[in-house]
Amino acid sequence: MTEQNPKYLSLLAILILGLVLTLPHNPPAPAHAQEPLTDKKVSLVGRVTDPQGEPVRDAEIALLINGNRKVLLSTASQPDGAFVLDVPHEAVGDIETLTLEISRSHFQSQHWEIESDDVARLNQGESLRLPDLELARRITAGFWVATLTFVAILVIIALEKLHNTMAALLGVAIVLGTTFVGGAVNPDLFIFDFERALEYVNFDVIFLVMGMMIVIGVIEETGIFQWLAYQSYRLSGGRAWLLVTILMLITSVASALLDNVTTMLLMTPMTIQISIALGINPLSLLIPEVLASNIGGISTLIGTPTNILIGSYAGLTFTDFLTKLTPGVLLAQAALTVYVLIRYRAQFLVRGGGLSEELLERLRESGRITQPTKLRRSGIIFGVMLFFFVVGESIHLVPAVVAIIGAVAMLLWVAPDIESMLKVVDWTTLMFFISLFIVVGAIQEVGLISIIADAISRLVGGNLTAATLVLAWSAAFLSGIIANIPFTAAMLPVVSFLTRTIPGASSQVLFYALSVGSAMGGNSSLIGASANLVTAGIAEQAGYRITYREFFKAGMPAMIITVTIGTLWLLIRF
Amino acid sequence: MGKILCATRGGEASYRTQDATIALAKERGDEILFLYVVDIEFLQKTARAVRPDVVTAEMEKMGEFLLAMAQEQAQKRGVAANYVLRYGNLRRELTGAARELDVTMVVLGKPTGNESAFALADLESFAAKIESETRKEMRII
Repeated sequence: MTEQNPKYLSLLAILILGLVLTLPHNPPAPAHAQEPLTDKKVSLVGRVTDPQGEPVRDAEIALLINGNRKVLLSTASQPDGAFVLDVPHEAVGDIETLTLEISRSHFQSQHWEIESDDVARLNQGESLRLPDLELARRITAGFWVATLTFVAILVIIALEKLHNTMAALLGVAIVLGTTFVGGAVNPDLFIFDFERALEYVNFDVIFLVMGMMIVIGVIEETGIFQWLAYQSYRLSGGRAWLLVTILMLITSVASALLDNVTTMLLMTPMTIQISIALGINPLSLLIPEVLASNIGGISTLIGTPTNILIGSYAGLTFTDFLTKLTPGVLLAQAALTVYVLIRYRAQFLVRGGGLSEELLERLRESGRITQPTKLRRSGIIFGVMLFFFVVGESIHLVPAVVAIIGAVAMLLWVAPDIESMLKVVDWTTLMFFISLFIVVGAIQEVGLISIIADAISRLVGGNLTAATLVLAWSAAFLSGIIANIPFTAAMLPVVSFLTRTIPGASSQVLFYALSVGSAMGGNSSLIGASANLVTAGIAEQAGYRITYREFFKAGMPAMIITVTIGTLWLLIRF
Repeated sequence: MGKILCATRGGEASYRTQDATIALAKERGDEILFLYVVDIEFLQKTARAVRPDVVTAEMEKMGEFLLAMAQEQAQKRGVAANYVLRYGNLRRELTGAARELDVTMVVLGKPTGNESAFALADLESFAAKIESETRKEMRII
């Protein structure tokens, strides 16, 4: 047995665990639902909500009878906010007053007097269905800790003071440390307990990202990206305007199916060599490519990390993104291509280059498929995965399961080199997502998300068009300044609230607006998307620096053009 | 016959340095050793999964392409040239190459525009440091 086997088994075990965790299952029914109802049982049934109508779970509900301060019964609200209190039959008939006392961290405790008519019905042995009990928010010290922690994470990531994962982990340490250490001293510092924190982690996202990492890791070794870049060069026949158009199309499609960072990492070195061969500045090909790659990813569930977050949260399928956003993306790409051809027209008219035969041979060599067997096999598996991404919804097969099965197939049939596969799984990225979910859970728990949702709701005043525009454009501009993954994760519950409360929003248009804004917004600045940064990193290594100013001058107009088209499409489509 | 070590990349700033180095080598009757350093430190800026080995392989190909171009330019002008590829931090690898390789002079390009890797004062201080550490002649051109 080799040394690799234990690691191999470990990774397979993790993938199988992922399958188990992400397979659809029915939640266990609450214990009270299993108790047989008898004629003598009299129940009080109700639901606890926050000011936005969101269910409040784990609220303590105590029942006080006849003004007695002694609690007769108590229970906790379920995840859907519902509670059931069974009034002891010996008390029925003698009740004069009935009070519910509801308490929950981050909410004001409330007393709820049951009306005398209802008390009379109870005394006659009737069960009661109470109206929704709304709890008012309370700004606690924990609120400020969680809020400032989240803001600090955004700032630290934007200023590159710490690695993303480190910043998010620091956030987790602060919110949990405050809860357990600070909360013991001052209950107002309590944010949430560890069990509750873990409930905010979306394992669909974690396993979908991990599965896709393995799939992409295998495909990227085959040389397919470099081959595509070289074929674009050949096909263009040395016409730079045609070359940039083809390259933009390729990066856009590759970003939609795989991911834009990988696409740009592998296309950029080849693109630089091709532009030198043509005698044009590489930036006139690289910047259009990366702009296209940031837009192309919007077309599918797996195209961008923000789409993975949105799709998983809102239950949007691969087909949903494909059918509802792709036409808008194609229109935006067409406009972007026209913009690029106009902006870089002087470069595209340059006729230079003239490489020696030896250098051209090097270029040809770089553009070869390096592992044809691996490409054929991984292509088959990826094709099957795409099929199940599309049809999976009809058999309740969630994307995370498709990705994990695809990843296992890749490991078993295509690339059983476990050492390299372990390198493919970027554990720091997975930790980033887990930590981010917990920190966003903290601001949700303390009520910050409710406040933001309320503010946006007042701003748009129930107007769906206004809400769509506000979400898409605020996401677009903010994505150029702050990291769009934490921003999107934080906005999901806000969008969920708006979707429930604004008439006509049940079409999920607001989630699509968030997707369009957060991805297209990445084009407005160099730090707006990871693909921009890696492209700039490689270009600098080749002696061509993409400055913030240079990128902004090209990217901001592109962002405005494409977001305008994207939002127009959303308004027409929905 | 001496050997000049010239760190290079692509771009206008590097092409100017290459031209000046080729002219210098021709005048002195030296040969040139072009150096390209593959540095994937920029991958730290992304939160997405990337494979350093795959990216390094692509950067190698790009580096060799740029080095072959420089070599070709030198040979066209009758100067013997070779190249070497190293991995890691540019400053460390340039110092290491000056120390370890059989070179008589190290040439650094004077910063121009925004494409240069160093500011002038920084470059002069770096050149002095290499000179004191390696006892190799330094020239900023």
